[in-house]
Amino acid sequence: MTKLGQWLCGLALLGSAWAALALAPPGLRLPAPCRQALLPLPVYLLVAFGCYSLATVGYRLATFNDCEEAAAELQEHISAARADLRRRGLRF
Amino acid sequence: MLQHADPVVGFGLVAFSLLLFVYYTLWIIVLPFIDSDHGIHQYFLPREYAVIIPMVAGLLLLLFIGIFITVVMWKSRKPAKKLD
Repeated sequence: MTKLGQWLCGLALLGSAWAALALAPPGLRLPAPCRQALLPLPVYLLVAFGCYSLATVGYRLATFNDCEEAAAELQEHISAARADLRRRGLRF
Repeated sequence: MLQHADPVVGFGLVAFSLLLFVYYTLWIIVLPFIDSDHGIHQYFLPREYAVIIPMVAGLLLLLFIGIFITVVMWKSRKPAKKLD
């Protein structure tokens, strides 16, 4: 089975479990606060996933290090290549 | 100069998303279990908004992404060649 198929099966499973519990089938009596908290659960999971993504992006942005020596070395290479090409006659 | 702003923006994003997550978790999951005469309920909107606001925000996001793609594709049209 492809990855997409696996994800869809997992989503269908969780979705049917949520629908079974939350959409008030006769014969199932959960305490009222539980049902009140259960009903917006898909939206809650989406918002939680969005928050996690935002936090990950922010954290990676904050801890991304500059490499000073590599940058200096690269600039040296660039100017050396420029001088070399200029010597060989390429005009720019 | 911009690289000195990176950690500030990054940790700002982390703090904002953490705040948002805590507030939303309290709103959706914790509040139903608290008696309705407790003082904490005054800090939260009615529960319908806990679903309406994310949906509207999601639709706005899709709208902006669509507009952005439209604008970019519009600008990158090649000028039509005249055929004789």
